[in-house]
Order: sequence, then C-alpha cells, then structure tokens
Amino acid sequence: MKKIIGIVVAIIVIVALGFASWLLLGRDPMSFAGGSTVALEDYKGGNVTGVPSQLASADPVKRGEYLAHAADCQACHTAPGGAPFAGGFAFNMPFGVIYSTNITPDMQTGIGNYTDAQFLAAVHKGIRADGKKLYPAMPYTSYTYMTDDDALAIKAYLFTLAPVHARPKRDQLSWPYNQRGLMALWNVVFNRDERFRPNASQSLQWNRGAYLAEAMGHCGECHTPRNLAYGLDNHRKFAGALTAGWRAYNITGDKDSGIGDWSDQDVYLYLSTGHANGHGGAAGPMGEATDDSLSYLASDDLHALVAYLRSIPPNASDVPRTVTTPAPASHKDGLAAASDSRGEKIFAGACASCHDWTGVSPVTGYATLTGVRAVNDPSATNVAQTVINGVNRKTAEGKIFMPAFGEGYSDDDIAAVANYVTTRFGAKGAQLSDMDVANLRKQTLQEHKSVEAPNG
Amino acid sequence: MVTLTINGKSREVDAPEDMPLLWALRDHLSLVGTKYGCGIAQCGVCTVHVGGKPVRSCQLAIGDVGARAVVTIEGVGATPNGSRVQQAWIENAVPQCGYCQAGQIMSATALLDSNPHPDDSDIDAAMAGNLCRCGTYIRIRRAIKEAAAKSA
Repeated sequence: MKKIIGIVVAIIVIVALGFASWLLLGRDPMSFAGGSTVALEDYKGGNVTGVPSQLASADPVKRGEYLAHAADCQACHTAPGGAPFAGGFAFNMPFGVIYSTNITPDMQTGIGNYTDAQFLAAVHKGIRADGKKLYPAMPYTSYTYMTDDDALAIKAYLFTLAPVHARPKRDQLSWPYNQRGLMALWNVVFNRDERFRPNASQSLQWNRGAYLAEAMGHCGECHTPRNLAYGLDNHRKFAGALTAGWRAYNITGDKDSGIGDWSDQDVYLYLSTGHANGHGGAAGPMGEATDDSLSYLASDDLHALVAYLRSIPPNASDVPRTVTTPAPASHKDGLAAASDSRGEKIFAGACASCHDWTGVSPVTGYATLTGVRAVNDPSATNVAQTVINGVNRKTAEGKIFMPAFGEGYSDDDIAAVANYVTTRFGAKGAQLSDMDVANLRKQTLQEHKSVEAPNG
Repeated sequence: MVTLTINGKSREVDAPEDMPLLWALRDHLSLVGTKYGCGIAQCGVCTVHVGGKPVRSCQLAIGDVGARAVVTIEGVGATPNGSRVQQAWIENAVPQCGYCQAGQIMSATALLDSNPHPDDSDIDAAMAGNLCRCGTYIRIRRAIKEAAAKSA
C-alpha cells in the first residue's frame, strides 16, 4: 500500500514539476531561437539596444522620444480624445476594468515624483513608486528586457512633456483580482526580471529585431496566446490571440493562418504604413501601433523587425487560408447570394460604394477587402469591430477613414453585415448573433468625451 | 500639382495629393454640379465616374486617381447612356428638390454602362447608396428602366 501511495505521490510530483517547467519555458519569448545567449556587455556583434546610428549623437530627450515611440507608450496611456500620455484608456477584461495611468510629469497625478530607480522598478518589475504592484496590462514582462539606459531615456523624454493634472480612474475589478498583492506570486512565475541577452548564434540584425519586438514593441502582449493564469504562452508564440476585443492575428511563418505567404516587402510595408496592397490595412489596436509607434521607426529598425518576425517558427491556428480572388461583379453571383438578405441590403446601402461588390475598392487599396485576413477570419471579430468603431487614422500619406457605424446600426444589423462580408469575400462565413456583437461592443467600450453633433 | 483627366480634358490642380476629389472639382475647377452631402460616403450625392466606376468623390484623394478618367455630371450627358438617363429624368420629372440628383444620375448611368438591362434587384444593389430625402425613388426606378429600354 505504502508503495502505491509512494508511486502516486511521485507521479503527481513529476507531473507538477513537468507542468511548472513547461510554464517556465513558455515564459521565455526568445527561447525558440535556440543557440546561446550572452550578457549585453559581452556581446561583440554591434549595437543591439538604444537608438539607430543616425540618432546616436542626438540629445537624450530626442533619443528618449524615439524609444518611447518604439515602446509605444502612447497608445495605451492615452484615452480616446484625451491628452497624450495622461492615461484613462480602459482595458475591459473578463474580470473587470483596468485604466491606464497618467505618465506625464504631473507631481500629484502623474509620475513627476518618480526617481530613476522607481521608474526602472515600474518598467522592469511592475512596481509603482508607492510599492504597490501594477497589473500586467502594463507590459512590464516585456519591458523587463529593456536596458536601464533606454528606459531612463524614455523617462527623460516623458519629463519634458507638459504635466497634465488628471487623476487615474479607479480600476473596477472583482475579487480576487482586486488584490494587487497577489501579483507578487504571478510575478515570480511570469516575470523573468531579466535584461535583454543577445543571441550569439544570430545576426546583429536579428538581435536588434528581437530587442525591438520583445523589449520595446511588446508584440507578444497581443499576438501571443495567454494561458489560464493570463501569462503569455510562448509555446504558441505569435500564433494570434483575442486582445481588447480585437483579434491580433497569427504572425508566425505559417502559410495559411500566419504570414508565411507574405513577401518581406509586404511585411515591411504593413509595419511601416499599416497597409500592404492585397493584405488590407491595420485598424483598431494595430492601427494605433502603426500610427503611434511603428511608423516612427527608422527603416533599418523596420528591416530588423522583419528579419526577426521571419525567424518565428510556423504555428498553425484556426484562421483558414486567405482567399485572394475578388468576388463576382454582380451581387447576384458569388457565395453570399443565398444568405440572409439583410446583410446584403446593408452592404448595398452603406458599404458597396467604397468596397465594391467585388471587394476591390475603386477608392483606395486600404478599402480593398480581397485578401484581407479580417474577412477571412470566421469569427468576424475584426470585421464587426471595424464596422462598430470605424477607422480614423492619420498617416504620412493622408487620412485613412471609414465611418463608425456602431451608433447607427443595431447589434442585429452589424451581425448580419459581418456575416455577409465574411461569406462573400472570405474563406468561411461567420455566424455572429446580436449577442456576439453586444459582447464585442463591451470589450472595446471607452468613455468618450461627449461630442456635439456637427449641425444638430 | 496634380494632373487629372476630367470630362475628356486634362486639368491641373494646384492642391495637396490628399485633397478629396470633390474639393478639387468644386473649389479649384468650379465644377459645382457635384454636391457635398455627408462627407463620409454614406449619401451618394458626390458620385462621379472614375475609370468608368461610380465613386464617392468625397473619399477619393486626388493623388489616388492616377491615370483614370474622371467624368462628372457636367460631362456625363456627352456619353450615350448619360444622355439617355438625363432624357428619361426629364420625361419622368424625377427631381423634387434636386440636391441628390447629380449623384443619382451618375450612379444610374454607371449601372447601365455595366448592365444595359438591370432588373429591380440590380437597381437596388446599384442605387441603395444614393439617398433621396424627397423620396423620388419610384421615379428614379422608372426612369432607369425607360433609359434601359431606349438603349436596346
């Protein structure tokens, strides 16, 4: 009997240890590359961290500005319509709402009192100046790889901003998630609290790309699936995930569900402009990532990011292969002909003038639906979100605009048109219900400043 | 400076490339037959033809027009279907206040150019994005059918 109990205990211990080591392995975002890593100071391949060479002699604030763009602080630390970096952006989680904080140098409500050490503790370990723990909505498990120099350059830049007096909103979390102290346990498992270590077996360009993607751009925070404890599961690195009500797509080399079939130039264009012909345009959080962050990067840095992305092992997910042929010119032909007529009627009135019945826009490549992942995603998450929230991006090439239909159309209407669009232009039609759309609305809800109707 | 082909003529527009075509037509080229309505491609009054397709000119940047020929309400009467549609519009007294009608005529002409004999469903699919607050839809449908019959 004792022997059996002993064996059972041994099995439990082995399974538990196995699970623990699996979890721990899953937290390293760069282990997929293999090879051996070295401490940054021992790496002789060239400059991996900091700013690109053309900015090397710029003043610290200019360098900090570049790095703040690379780390994309602004997108999350700015409420829609609010002052940049003054916080108040809502993260709607299944267990409540977290608001981003004010990181302008205001003494009372911002980070004006932060010492260098306190700023580093927040960025690397998720610890506020008052010693309380941050929630990992702040991507400190990524920023932990950032060098002290780079983090402090960002601080120097933030401290040149005009202080904005805006008290952060109180988070609304249910028990036990409102117990910040519990984050200490989570941090032990999921925050490596380790600075970036270059991989000696990889090129300088790859290492620069890795630093930009992991320590700065924190791509994985949206694109890597999370485990039950909300830690990143790097066993499925960059295989896509649902974040903040939008689907961050699979950006591994998988040819069907990832970007394995994209050319390097397409990836480069998508990162730098939020658009590549035949692949559609970025909207939602990726639109913000482009406009606030990626579009500011030097071209060498973007090429490094592309090189790094190209090295991620293919990992298939549930988005089918993208359809790249346009739909027929007549609304009577094509797959959606027999589907619910409500979606077709809405498409005819509100969508067809820009998107065309073929899906190939006569207006702009940004509006072409053919080949776009969102319309090939059978969950239609991003199609519905784009219909609800529209697109309103300001880029170097001008304004990219689609009206937000969320207030004018019911949940039923939006479900119908999303189902129609995915059926007509995509690989597999969605089956959204009004409840699904209501749920998607909740996940992207922000408190908008009231806007007066232009002409009553 | 952007060069556009409008109603068969080459025109120079001294304006930024991201200016919407509608602004260039009305403010720079004095082609004011094309109207401004909603400004977000939801009403259809600013419809012109670009490369033979009906396009909402409030959303098309002049830098994106390229070599495609632009036809506006001022020039569409010189095309066979445009002339038939305008004649049918007169015979049926289609307009009431008239504000949306330039866009209606442009969409109707583009429909006949791609489909000489549209049925009700084709007319719905092509014209649903052109709104008319006066509710002239019944006369619009009748006029399109008459114009189509004459092209036979």
